[in-house]
Amino acid sequence: MFHARPVTAEEPRLTVRRARRRFPRHVLVALPLALAGPVSLLLPGDKPVPYRHITTIQARMASKSDFFKDPEVRRLLLKHGIRVDIHRLGSRGIATQSLKGMDVAFPSGQPAAKLILERERRQGRSVKSARPFATPLVLATFRDYAETLVKAGVATPQPGTSEGDTLYYNLKMDKFMGLLDGKDDPKNRLDGTGATADTWNGIGFDKVGGRSNGGRVLVRTSSVCESNSAGTYLSILAFVANGNSTPGTANPNNPKLAADSVQRLSEKIKPLINLQGMWADEQADSYFSDLGESIAPVSVIYEHQYLAHQIEYHDRHHRQDTDRVLLYPTPFALTEPQLIALTDKGDRLSDLIESDGELRDRAVELGFRVRFSGEDGTSERLNTYLHDHGVQVPAQNTDETKVYEPDLKVLESIINYVGNCPPPVQDDQ
Amino acid sequence: MRRHARALTACLALLLLATTLTTSCGDDSDEVTLRVLASPELADLAPLLGDLRDRTGIRLDMDYQATADLAGQPPAAGKPAYDLAWPVSDRSFLLRLQESGKLTARPESTPIMRSPVVVGLTPETADKLRKRVPGGRLSWADIADAAADGTVRFGMADPRRSDTGRAALVGVATAAAGTGSALREQDVSCDRLRGFRSGQTLTGASSRDLIDTYLHHQGEANALIAHESELLSLNATRKSARPLEIVHPEDGMVLSDFPLLLLNPARRADYGKVVDWLLGADVQRKLMRRTYRRPVNQEVRPTAALRASVGNALSFPDRLSIVRRLVDDYGDPDHRSADQVVFLLDFSTSMRGRRIADLRAAFAGLSGADSSATGKFARFYRGERLTVVRFGGRVLQERTVTVRGDGDLRTLDRAVADGGFDDSTAVWSALDRGYRLAADAVREKPERPVAIVLMTDGESNSGMTYEAFLRRRARLGTAAQAVPTFPIQFGEADAAALKRVAKATGGRMVDANLSSLSEAFKEIRGCH
Repeated sequence: MFHARPVTAEEPRLTVRRARRRFPRHVLVALPLALAGPVSLLLPGDKPVPYRHITTIQARMASKSDFFKDPEVRRLLLKHGIRVDIHRLGSRGIATQSLKGMDVAFPSGQPAAKLILERERRQGRSVKSARPFATPLVLATFRDYAETLVKAGVATPQPGTSEGDTLYYNLKMDKFMGLLDGKDDPKNRLDGTGATADTWNGIGFDKVGGRSNGGRVLVRTSSVCESNSAGTYLSILAFVANGNSTPGTANPNNPKLAADSVQRLSEKIKPLINLQGMWADEQADSYFSDLGESIAPVSVIYEHQYLAHQIEYHDRHHRQDTDRVLLYPTPFALTEPQLIALTDKGDRLSDLIESDGELRDRAVELGFRVRFSGEDGTSERLNTYLHDHGVQVPAQNTDETKVYEPDLKVLESIINYVGNCPPPVQDDQ
Repeated sequence: MRRHARALTACLALLLLATTLTTSCGDDSDEVTLRVLASPELADLAPLLGDLRDRTGIRLDMDYQATADLAGQPPAAGKPAYDLAWPVSDRSFLLRLQESGKLTARPESTPIMRSPVVVGLTPETADKLRKRVPGGRLSWADIADAAADGTVRFGMADPRRSDTGRAALVGVATAAAGTGSALREQDVSCDRLRGFRSGQTLTGASSRDLIDTYLHHQGEANALIAHESELLSLNATRKSARPLEIVHPEDGMVLSDFPLLLLNPARRADYGKVVDWLLGADVQRKLMRRTYRRPVNQEVRPTAALRASVGNALSFPDRLSIVRRLVDDYGDPDHRSADQVVFLLDFSTSMRGRRIADLRAAFAGLSGADSSATGKFARFYRGERLTVVRFGGRVLQERTVTVRGDGDLRTLDRAVADGGFDDSTAVWSALDRGYRLAADAVREKPERPVAIVLMTDGESNSGMTYEAFLRRRARLGTAAQAVPTFPIQFGEADAAALKRVAKATGGRMVDANLSSLSEAFKEIRGCH
């Protein structure tokens, strides 16, 4: 995907002046755009950017392009003479494919970031990097599906502002996984019976809203081979299937036994992913689209994507989008995107992202959890911002069990088994 | 070059100062052309491409070709022949890419519009079908049922060539499997779509061809399976005698998202401009009004016709082999012949009572009485040739019908219902008789698939031995070799012997004791 959402304002193509000597062809490319309208040289609600040297940074990233595509972020970066040219690819895809020609990589989570750092280290490079914000992995769904899960005894609503309008539900992953395996559990009457077991109608969807869905209870993910969200979701499944402990930590002195237990675990969770059939990219785009509920009842996204949607929705309609709701899994997984600089130009961006107050403030406005000095957690500013903008503040989960991502090698082996992924590319740049 | 650039930069600077749109800094010569491999369905976009050129300076040179998985495009080596691809869906393409085993960078891909694959029915056909279904909400299973009994005669694009036809086929097959999740290998090991397929009367390389053909032969079909957008467009042209009623099947649909793919990475910047232009609210609105596809831009409010719920999207299989199997089994929509099945039914005295009642129920179910979704797909269909051989110690009765209507099915049911019983069971003699009938059928019409279903509830206690049967079958030559036997084990049948013969002939044994005779007969329908 090139752009997750329609961009109303064109990027200011001010690269031309600097590019004049070295890359005259860029002028030609920029020309039709300039002709299309001088308006495109303005950013919404802002004065023209001063005409000065601009550095274009080639950046490979996944869902965190939401941040760099934001017009306000682009304006702030331009103030510092930086423009970011976004190349979209899933985070694990970024880590496993060539990074030639890139100034920075910005994978959405730690496993992919570690893969890249390790790769750079192997080639004797030390790199700058920044972890500007964090966001939990969530399961995005719709009101009637969430209420169906409440009736099936796997979800509980967080208290909302008034009866029945909460945006957030807590989801017991262990019980939920009993609905994902496609098997009738004889001990659980709530999962449906016989052929309708573990289907939406089987667990009472057709009784909740009057609509019908004979499909199985499934969670839609992007490709496990390429995306951080799918990989992180897989680590939640593996952690829970392993009795709420980190996979691969048993039998530390016996590698064979340890590997066998990881293999068994992989086999156990594979169907929970594979029953969905083919993966689908850009879960958030589908989820927020008009046909979202038809495309997938439950999809894996990041919290920041949902909060950004609610903030924008409230600004526009002066109320919350109460059809779209979130399931916060217990245990939960927090993702930490990491901006990794691969060139000197990349270093500049990394430094800026880490230190610039305005960019950090903007991240909060886009739904990210940002740690500011003097605060205990990462949620204070975000919660205040949500409250001030009419969006319900998600409650702190009372069960604080956090999924500890398995060791990189263990996670890789689970991902490769479940996704049957092709081997990674080794860059020899 | 440098002088040229300086002149252009001056132009840009002027523009900046003036902030008006009046100048013309040599835009004609700077027009960019991108070669696009596009689905023929997208020819309806042509009028908008001029706007695109005016606004972005990018001309799309569209080459309309029906290709189901962008065959011949990446990861084939060399310089890509096209800069962009614009198919109906990139699912088959992505699966092919993944299965190539190489980790090639996936082309960037952006969904531009959406439309579900649905059914359009003439008003009277829609009425007729709704009356049959409690609640009146039609499913793919109801369409298949009506196709099998001749009520529905439909047109659908060729799944071998068109991604629209392929999406339709995956949708129907997923509904036929009835698992509520994506198709797996085991779901397509038997062809459940033969009854459905028997109702197909029109086809085309793409939906566009299909609709052209339909307009010239409206008497030959009363239903079209295509994208919602194509059917709404057809209705809007008023070229068809009566508008088709659009049905979003209750058991789900495959949603196409018409993605624009970047095949030539060197054209990334231009690709970005085209995508941005296409996704803008104004253009999305125009696309919607002109093509009846649903916008992906949330800011655009769908027109009344596009506010109907599309129902639930069916998952696409995660392996290309599954899709290929479906497409191969479906075959050439223009040339195909119905199957012949030879049923060898054990009428020894042990079948008396409850067991024979079950057998009659199973045949009644296959004749159209089974109202379950799987039953509607598995039923006997028009054109199918069915032979019933009742046996005990010898062949008691033989009856062959070619299904033309309900009368033929009643004849068949009577053969199963009215017969008497015999004291002994000659399983291998009966099977020998079955192979003789099968060999004759193959010789008569070599392209017709023939299978044998052998139902027995006891051990063979008279007639020829298994070895004698094998020797006689070998002597029948190639005509008999390709015919598989699917034994149904019931009651006290000799499971080991039945498994052995299934293995020897390329069939598979089903244990009716695990479910019921009806389920067992359904399970092997379309197996080959």
